[in-house]
Amino acid sequence: MFRKSIVLLISVSLLLAACAPSANPTSVPTATEAPATEAVTSVPTIIEVPAKPIKLTDGLGRSIELPGSAQHIVSLTPATTEILFAIGAGAKVVGRDTFSDYPPEASSVTDIGGSMGKYNTEAIVNLKPDLVIAGGINPPELVASLESLGLKVYFLANPTTMEELYTSIKTVGSLTGDESGADNVVASMDAKAKEVDAKLAAITEKPMVYYELDATPFTAGPGTFIDLLITRAGGTNFGAKMDSAWAQISLEQLLLADPAFIILGDSAYGESPATVSARPGWDALTAVKNKMIFPFDDNLVSRPGPRLVDGLEALARLIHPEAFK
Amino acid sequence: MPKRFLPYMTNLGLLLAAVILSLAIGSVFISPGELWQILHSWLTHSPLPTGLETFSFIISDIRLPRTVLVLLTGAALGGSGTAYQGLFRNPLADPYLIGVASGAGLGAVLAMSIHWPYSFWGLLVVPMSAFLFAMVTVLLVYSVARVGQSVPITNLILSGVAFSAFATALTSYMIISSQGEVRRALGWLMGGASQNSWQAVLAILPYLIIGLGFLLMNGHALNLLQFGDDQAQQMGLPVLRKKTLLLLAASLATAAAVSFSGIIGFIGLIIPHVMRMWWGADYRRLLPLSIIAGGVFLILADILARTMMRPQELPVGIVTALAGAPFFLWVLRRAKNQGYW
Repeated sequence: MFRKSIVLLISVSLLLAACAPSANPTSVPTATEAPATEAVTSVPTIIEVPAKPIKLTDGLGRSIELPGSAQHIVSLTPATTEILFAIGAGAKVVGRDTFSDYPPEASSVTDIGGSMGKYNTEAIVNLKPDLVIAGGINPPELVASLESLGLKVYFLANPTTMEELYTSIKTVGSLTGDESGADNVVASMDAKAKEVDAKLAAITEKPMVYYELDATPFTAGPGTFIDLLITRAGGTNFGAKMDSAWAQISLEQLLLADPAFIILGDSAYGESPATVSARPGWDALTAVKNKMIFPFDDNLVSRPGPRLVDGLEALARLIHPEAFK
Repeated sequence: MPKRFLPYMTNLGLLLAAVILSLAIGSVFISPGELWQILHSWLTHSPLPTGLETFSFIISDIRLPRTVLVLLTGAALGGSGTAYQGLFRNPLADPYLIGVASGAGLGAVLAMSIHWPYSFWGLLVVPMSAFLFAMVTVLLVYSVARVGQSVPITNLILSGVAFSAFATALTSYMIISSQGEVRRALGWLMGGASQNSWQAVLAILPYLIIGLGFLLMNGHALNLLQFGDDQAQQMGLPVLRKKTLLLLAASLATAAAVSFSGIIGFIGLIIPHVMRMWWGADYRRLLPLSIIAGGVFLILADILARTMMRPQELPVGIVTALAGAPFFLWVLRRAKNQGYW
């Protein structure tokens, strides 16, 4: 009986395996792929640009070739959307993820999802973009599945320093043909950052800053822009001694370090100086006693885009108001 | 039409309707007329009407592979859920009872914590690791639970629960200590096909055919097992070998389904019950019906996941419980035959 069932099993699976291919994949896609890719490439370009082929290596180490600069772009992260608009490529953005809320013009662009990392692939395909720009928060599976649909995807790896961010912005400029726009953005960012540096040059004291990401409480550790910016803004990041980039901390450690400032990156989620002061045990902190608790726009420091320098300036003004008098 | 075909015809009719709905509904609006034109040109190999190329591509390359993957996943979960409930003679059993889900979760999160090169194999590491960890967990649970020539059900369940708790804790630890891969891991654990391609379908198909095929041939054995191990043995069933093979076959199908789709809960628990309430407890019939119904149910849940918060998508695992629980309670309330189990 056992042997008989094995034989049956094998024959059934062979039978099914034999029917499977004809019932599905190969025949259907090949029949339709050709017209569809044609449709993607034959999109009439609004601005006639001399077709200068572009060849760049992206953050996944893949070589990306474009026949000319991209004119119909889908942006998968808020940071890439901000970069695109800042360098003057905003009009070329035909789709953006749900969380791209800056600049305000971006909200009138078609929303293609992105919550929980889930994007609306068919909406993206329907927009017929000639380039999809993915960011460091997008997993490689997403890039692969978009690519398998015949889309050009450029993966912009997350920068970890200002210089890497400048390179990212220039790369986006090369992709969209807005090199001069990108250069201008980088120049003005660099100028602003150096202006803050100059104002802080005379600072000797570097007060401890606790930057709260989430009330559980989570803070930003080494390797994050938050850590980098707090340091550059003349503060000492409480999270710097953590061993991971995003770390949950205990009130005990916070009491021991006793930060001079509490900066609420989670103010958009209902945390405020009042709620922090009301947390049991937190009234022992110097920052709470001195009312040195400040709500903060987390998007300024968590999106690796052009507004990071605004974040830097905002942090510097909070930590060293005396330098900006 | 003979009455015994009624359940199959009902389920297949529902399946056809679900597949058509799944092809028709999505975030991009394609009218029934356009859908018909596209399907018609596929079936007759006639050229597409102009202007429908993109829609045709969306249906053939996005909606169709996704629908097939979802169908297969649901079928695997429905079928193995039925087998588990029969094997354990327990109405609370589901395909994740002895560690497939927690093992797969650990494997997936472990693979995500490492940076793999962007290549064919690099992209397959997560599902492969999920699959391997799921199978290893099941084998460990089984070998710990085995006592001499028998595998007591209680031992299996307890050892499954303990291994699951351990694997889940490890998974949570890995997520907390990882560097910013949290969303990807959580999305996977909540169940949502991130790779909607024919490649995923082809990768899981052999395991589903072997696993579900074996289950389908053993409906009678499951019927006998309902009398208890001793009785079944006396009736000539090689109980230990049968149970082992059934357990492996069901786990194989579940592990393959879960490896690409993530952990989709609840469906493996309710589908067998609904089928049992509607069409009776004979496993020879219950297995194929649950396999089809699992596919139908997951396709419908996936349609909801795609459209409820349009243009955003929800992980389908949320929808299976969110929409499945009220449906199940409704069926339970209406069930006339109280002693259906």
